[in-house]
Amino acid sequence: MTVDQISSVADRPGAAASAGRAQAAGRPRTSMTARRHRAFYMFTSPWIIGFLLLTITPMAYALWLSFTTFDGISPHWRYVGLGNYRELLNDPVTWDALGRAGLFAVTSVPLSIIAGLALAVLINRPVKARGLFRTLLYLPAVVPPVGAGLAFKSLFDPNSGAANGVLTFFGFDAVGWLGDPYARYVLLMTVLWTAGNVMIISLAGLQDVPRELHEAARIDGASAWRTFRSITVPLLSPVLLFQTVTGMIASVQTIMPLLLAPLGDTSGITTVPQSNYLYMMHVFAQYFALGRYGYASALLWVLFVLILIATGLIFKFTSGVVFYNVDPEAKK
Amino acid sequence: MTATSLPPKSLRNDLRVRVRTRRLVLYTVLVSVTGLFLGPFGWLVLSGLKTQGELAASPVHWLPDVFQWHNFADAFTQIDFLGYARNSLIISLLYATLVTVSSAWVGFGFARLDAPGKKVLFGVLLGSMMLPQMVTLLPTYLIFAKVGMVDTYWPWVLWGLSAAPYLVFLFRQFFAGMPRELEEAAIVDGCGYTSVFWRIFLPQSWSVLSASFIISFTWTWGDYIAPQLLLSTDRTTLAVAVMTTYVNEGGAPVPQLQAAASVMYVVPILLLFLVAQRGFVAGMSTSGLK
Repeated sequence: MTVDQISSVADRPGAAASAGRAQAAGRPRTSMTARRHRAFYMFTSPWIIGFLLLTITPMAYALWLSFTTFDGISPHWRYVGLGNYRELLNDPVTWDALGRAGLFAVTSVPLSIIAGLALAVLINRPVKARGLFRTLLYLPAVVPPVGAGLAFKSLFDPNSGAANGVLTFFGFDAVGWLGDPYARYVLLMTVLWTAGNVMIISLAGLQDVPRELHEAARIDGASAWRTFRSITVPLLSPVLLFQTVTGMIASVQTIMPLLLAPLGDTSGITTVPQSNYLYMMHVFAQYFALGRYGYASALLWVLFVLILIATGLIFKFTSGVVFYNVDPEAKK
Repeated sequence: MTATSLPPKSLRNDLRVRVRTRRLVLYTVLVSVTGLFLGPFGWLVLSGLKTQGELAASPVHWLPDVFQWHNFADAFTQIDFLGYARNSLIISLLYATLVTVSSAWVGFGFARLDAPGKKVLFGVLLGSMMLPQMVTLLPTYLIFAKVGMVDTYWPWVLWGLSAAPYLVFLFRQFFAGMPRELEEAAIVDGCGYTSVFWRIFLPQSWSVLSASFIISFTWTWGDYIAPQLLLSTDRTTLAVAVMTTYVNEGGAPVPQLQAAASVMYVVPILLLFLVAQRGFVAGMSTSGLK
């Protein structure tokens, strides 16, 4: 389901290639076809080999480790079957971390998509210096995570940060932004800060929306909100779906909680405040602070399966809603 | 009689005022959002210009009394800034060059050639874009440690050689749109696909090549967790050094130097983006399955 949808979109500019394929297949010179087959595997082999060695092998290794007590030091590690999985299911910390990660995903992803889309619509109006606004709004998305983490840490510093400066200026009490329970809002703001990413991609999509559609709707008396809801959003839906899936995956593996913690390196994992202790931080803690490679591998595999399920569900529930504007003639 | 085709003057004025207020609201929103977006980085620059005392002051010390420009020079000497910058540059150039060429190579295969199993492989390629890298990175680290590749740059060479799914997709889209006659004549003349790729396709794809190079360079320059895991303190990248090494003898952080250093760490990437904006954005947009 998922792959077919994507590759059908992907095939759009590939009409020439597919037409050629049909032609090649009908050709009597089989040596030519065999040559193409060999060439295909010669060209794709770097990725195939790399995928087997650097993705499948580590995943398989992690699966094996997840059945053991391996910690990298002790030679007395042993096979414990599903022991690690049983332990993680019974560990309330795991469930809390998972819940927080889920909450973070379902808040940060829709919010940043809405923010990015709003910016795109705003900037798609006839404004002066549009290029400048677009560049400046996108700029934060290029800032490396370390830079972003340090910038937000200084902005929300409880003593010398500008955020508390503004609050006290208006007579409010200063807030311990980087600790519980406020750290989660700072984390959320680091995500919203990079909404320019969604903006740029939506903007490209917006400019593809045929102008006649908007004009026709206007003549029929549709309001601006109505045209946005009934024309713009459906035509952008593949882009939004892609953003949802990649945004969810990015939110699950973000290391921003660590970068916002008082000590930013992996040994500082214990300084991450409770409210930012997301699932990936739990994995890091088991990995770096405790060296429990076996248990951490089990956590990773659980996460991997959960992401597969979540992605599948997203595609399933949007399959009737997402509109692929593919020219059927181009698919022959 | 004469005024029937035009609305009365008062109504026209009313309309003009409404259009003007609307525009005013639009620009106000745009300018304030842009200000908010530039705020965090601006604050980081300001922090880099303050004294340590000003940074510890409560309530906030909005502007430094004297701009401490020497913080930027001190950030250079407090740690081996240039050494770390060189490490970052080597790793980023190495990875970006290799992954761009390998992804173009693989992308050519998916765009212009076919064989049994292609559909499945392409599906796996697209699916692997959705694989969280963190899940594979931690076990990869254990494997690299086992085979003695920790504290070398070999992991980046291997990652570079094995192509990145996202960039493969980018190249595949580009190559698939090129006219078929390009390669047919060459193949009939007895050229192999290898020389078709190098001599005909690559020279025509500068735009995608540069987009891919810049995107992958930015990734590697910004990556924190892989160098933190795989490299020792001397050989690590600027990202890790900025985050972890600005401490005094007692181990307490020196925030003004860290802020100055992080500005110097981020600015090259911002400049690269500003110079190459067009290609970068084009690459990003393609990724959105536009």
